[in-house]
This record gives sequence, C-alpha cells and structure tokens, in this order.
Amino acid sequence: MEEATLSFKARAERALADPTLKIAIDRTTGTAERKRAVAMSQFPQFDAARERGKRIKDHVIANLDHYLLEFERNAIASGAKVYWAATAGEASQIVVRLCKEAGAKRVTRVKSMLGEEIGLPHALDEAGIERVETDLAEHIVQLGGDRPSHIVWPSMHRTREQVSEMFKRLHRAPHQEETIEAMVDSARRELRDKFLSADVAISGANFLIADTGATCTVTNEGNAELTTTPPRVHIVTAGIEKLVPSMGHAIAMLRLLVRSATGADVTQYTTFHCGPKQPGDRDGPEEFHIVLVDNGRTRMLREGLKEMLRCIRCGACMNHCVVFRQLGGHVYGGTYPGPMGAVLTPVLDGLEKSRDLPHACTMNGKCQEVCPVAIPLPTLLRGWRDRSWREGLEPASVRFGLGMHAFFALRPGLYRMATAIAIRVMRLFSRGGVVRGMPGLGAWTAYREFPAPAKRSFMEMYKEQENQR
Amino acid sequence: MSTREAILDAVRGALGHKTVDGAALRREADALLADLPAIRPDLLADGLVEAFIARLVTPKVAATAERIADARELPAAVARYVEARGLPAAIALQPAAVLQALDWSGFDVHDRVAPDETLAVGFARWGIAETGSLVFHSDAETPILANFLPLHHLVMVRASTVLAYLDDYAAATAGQRPPRNVNIITGASGTTDIEGSLVLGAHGPRYLHVVIVGEATDQSAR
Ligand code: SF4
Repeated sequence: MEEATLSFKARAERALADPTLKIAIDRTTGTAERKRAVAMSQFPQFDAARERGKRIKDHVIANLDHYLLEFERNAIASGAKVYWAATAGEASQIVVRLCKEAGAKRVTRVKSMLGEEIGLPHALDEAGIERVETDLAEHIVQLGGDRPSHIVWPSMHRTREQVSEMFKRLHRAPHQEETIEAMVDSARRELRDKFLSADVAISGANFLIADTGATCTVTNEGNAELTTTPPRVHIVTAGIEKLVPSMGHAIAMLRLLVRSATGADVTQYTTFHCGPKQPGDRDGPEEFHIVLVDNGRTRMLREGLKEMLRCIRCGACMNHCVVFRQLGGHVYGGTYPGPMGAVLTPVLDGLEKSRDLPHACTMNGKCQEVCPVAIPLPTLLRGWRDRSWREGLEPASVRFGLGMHAFFALRPGLYRMATAIAIRVMRLFSRGGVVRGMPGLGAWTAYREFPAPAKRSFMEMYKEQENQR
Repeated sequence: MSTREAILDAVRGALGHKTVDGAALRREADALLADLPAIRPDLLADGLVEAFIARLVTPKVAATAERIADARELPAAVARYVEARGLPAAIALQPAAVLQALDWSGFDVHDRVAPDETLAVGFARWGIAETGSLVFHSDAETPILANFLPLHHLVMVRASTVLAYLDDYAAATAGQRPPRNVNIITGASGTTDIEGSLVLGAHGPRYLHVVIVGEATDQSAR
C-alpha cells in the first residue's frame, strides 16, 4: 500500500517494525546530537545569540510587508525578476513555465525544503523535464524513488549498505571499495557532467537579504554553486519568511543555524547570489528569477502561529525528539517531519488529514530547548490539539484521552499526584534507563525501548528549586 | 488584484495596519546588531592571522595553511605543494592580476578550469579569522567555477585582508553594489549525507591549502 494513503498509526507501526530504519536513524541523529553538543560547549554566547536571533526574526515578521517590498525593489535593481505565488501549485507552475520558456531539457536542483513543500520535483517530472538532484542526499532519495525523511539529511533513512547497493545498480562507474568515501566519489563522478550540461538551475534560499536583494544558500558539498553557475537560467524559490534586513543579520542567524544543524561553526560554502551575470563576469547565469512563496505563511501570521515563522529549518528539534528518533521522518506524512513538521503540516495539508501529528509528542520540551530561535513548539502543538478537539476531529478514544488531560489540567494538584505515581510505576519496568515491556505500551515496547522518565517529574523538581530560593 | 497585492494585503491584514517609517525601522534593525561580542564566538588566538590559521587547521575546517613573506614566493610554495603530493606541475591559474604577474616558469599554466582539474591556484580578497573562511567576489578576475571544480584548491590571501569576524566583512562592503556571487569558503567540500559521517571531496575540492602573504597591518584581534 502507498505510504501516503496509510493512516499515521499504520505508518508508525510499519516504521517500528523496520529494524534497518532504526539503525539508519540512530546513526545520523546520534552523530548530529553529539556534534551539536560539542559546538554548543564551544559557543558560550549561544543563549545570548539565540535571544538575538529570535528578536531578528520577530522584527522581520512584524514588518514583513516592508521587508518584502524592500527586497523586491533591490532584487529588481540587481537585474533579477521577482514573482509572487500564493499557493504551492502556483509556485510550481511559475517554475515550470520559466523552465519551458528557457527551452530546458535538463534542470539541476539544489536541495531546498521549500521546493519539496511546493511539490516541485513532481511538477518537473510531470512536465517531462529531466530533473537532476545534486545534493548527495537528494540524489540518494531520487535514486531510491522515495521522499526526504529529514530536512537536513533527506536520506537519513538509508543505511550505507543500502546506498552502496543503489549506487552499484544505478551509477555509470560505481565504487569498488565498500567505504563511504568511495561511495561519495562515485556520486561525484556520476553528477559532474550533469552540472555542466543543465539548461536551468533551481535553488532555494536560506536567507533573502532585504537591503541588497541577494539570496543566500549554504551547503557543505559545494553543489549549490556548481549547480547555479553554469546554466543560462537560475531560478530561486523562497518562502516569504526567509527575509532578513541585511547581510549582518544573516551572519548572526548563520551562527545559530549551522551549529544547530550539523555542529559546524559555518558551512563550507556560504554564497550570496545577487542578480544575473554582470558585465565582465567570467561565468554565471544570464537570467535570475526569484519566486516568493506564501503557501500558508500569511495564514500562520493570522492564526496564531507567527512564532513558527521564525523557523530557520535547522533540524535540531527532530534530532532531539524521542518520537522522531523512533519513527523517522516518513511517518509524519508531510514535507516537514519531527516537532516542527507536526506544527507545519496541519497548515500545509489541513488539520483533518494530519491531526494525529500534534499527538505524536511526549511534551518533554526538548525541541524547544534546542531550537536556535526558541520556538515554543510544545505550546504550538498543544494549540493544534485544542483546535482539533474544538473542531470535533478527534475520534472517541482520543477525545477520552484529551478529556483526561483537561480534567487534570484544571486540577493541577491531582495532576501532580497522578504523574508522580505514573513515574514511579514506569520506573518499576525500567532497567538501566529504558522502559521495556511495560503493560499498556504494547507495540511500542515490543520493538522499542522507551526512555525511562526522570526520577521525579519536572513539576516536583521545579517546586523544590522554587522552595530553595 | 494581483497575487503580489493579495499576499501583501494578507500580511498587512494579519499585522494590523500601521504606517512604516523606513528610517526608524532601519535604526531598529541596526540595534539588533549592537554588542556583537555578546553573540559571537571568541577567536582562537590573539593575533588575527594566528587566529585565522588556528581555525583553518581545526579538524572541522580541515584545511592546511602556510605563511610566506611576499607574493613572489607563491610559485615556490605551489611547487612544494605539488611535489609533496606527487601531482603534475600543471595548474589552472585564476585570471587575477596579482597571480598572473608572478613567475610561473616550470609550470604548465592555463586559466580555464577543466571539469576534472587537479589543481587550481586562486586569490581570495579576504580571510576571516572567526571561521577560517576565504571570501571571493565574482568578477572579471574571479570565475566562480574555479573555486568548485578542482580536486586541490590552493588559495593565496593577504595577511592585511584577514578580518576578525564575518561581520567585519559585511561592514567593509556595506553600501557597495554586491557582485553576482559572494563565495564564503570554509575548508574543503564535505558531506555528512551518508550516516552522518564526514567525508571530504563531495562535489567541490577535497583539499584546501591556504597561503597567507605578508604581515597583518593590525596585529591585535578586536
Ligand atoms: S523549529 Fe527550531 S529547531 Fe526545529 S527546525 Fe525550526 S529552527 Fe530548527
């Protein structure tokens, strides 16, 4: 059965029963978590930087109309053409039309989550335009014929063994040696001539710089510049929330983004693209198009989700999410997985279809803690739960569960007592920090270990701290 | 109503109507970049060039670096590099006047970078001590592809143009017409896309060697 048509529960059960998937997820998220921790230990300014990053994004969002117009004006002055798209469909149509006008047979693409969000890969395939994904992970996803499962490591659901098998089957001159280095080399050989022979390059943008009209991409592979330089036409698609006032503000955000995403201090390649080839330039595209995409963002602004517009797509929230780390990204069913995906998908795909997502959360608060722009993800998720309840989308069993939640929420004393009891009961079933085979957790602990709860609940510890003051 | 107007209207509707004073907004935006030392990392050494080199050779950046006193010593440095690695003495030379003015006898020199180029020699306008980055602007002397196609990239940068922080680069170029591309390059190309482990030489260069020329004009890091 097609994954997309399965219910969340069915997808989750399938993922839980897949031992290879668990290995793949653990290898990447484990590394990401460790590297981020090291990067943070070397950046004691993180808390202050995060507060500033949050304020920069809030400032832009509060003046979004102004910054959009400033960006548009400067981009046009640099020789770019600017387009506006209200929906995913409109955005894809604009890109496909531009490709057709350019007579494109082959387009190269730099990974962009917005491109995924607007369904661009599919739209290009439908239009019969050869699409070459140049980011290594997206290349793996394209060869595997599936979907990205993480916003920074789209192919994290694949083990090296699986990648090796695919490359051997599909590359023209595949690797001989079973090392990751040899596999990366195989992809390098496979893609090199495609970079140079494409008619159109399509990228996203990590930032849009209002005072110059430039777009900024960050990559580690160098595929962005190899993609966007040779073709005659470069098309950028970007969400309207990507704006920052100036390059200086982008730099402040970059310090947060990169450390949170990969644990590096800066990506290997940070490039600001401003307009088409200039007189005298040795290379570069003759046409530069920028498509500004709303697709639900103004609705988020209107409907109490404006804090989510701060998101810089670093992926830290999913790397640190206990649910994501058990299930992987495909289970979420939308473009964006993990905690941020659980907030965004109801906007993009409708709450009715995705109402399970806000429930797939333990409310442990880890995501908010690591988020480099301090988005209160648990609060936003709770907002969706409440809304789902109000709109009567919840089936009886969940309504009962939520009813209990509301019951306790209104009676905090009772709630504290109940969680204190629950924690002690769970600890009875835990061995060495994990819970196994506890009655009531069923399928979950049949395949997975459940992290044992802290010895005392947060509220108990919080109260103790308060008392000590 | 055009889509553009509809989106702008939706934004304004959600934000509540107000008149925007561009100058006040600019002041507000500038204030967000006040007190930068509180929100950026410390440098790895006191001197700018020392901090730059210390960062370049960290495992995260994984570049190599050396210093020479004068640009005229660059060809000899390239010769040593080529010899130590057993590479052919053929180089793609970035068409920058400072490089072309040097004596490259003994090398097979060309200025177009081939798709499978082994070694390209380039010139970066700035170095950044904070991150160990090199900054290039696309122009008549700087083809962008030359930074991405070769397997080995050997880059000269002047000690006097090593800046402390990325912000200093932004400040140095603020208000100028930006080039088509600003490339900020930090180390060799890498990927962590297969199981999160870092492998160098993904699509761009696998090796980056930085040659710093001369002395810094200002020896102290701010
Ligand atoms: S919500 Fe925060 S942590 Fe998650 S991807 Fe966005 S910025 Fe990163």
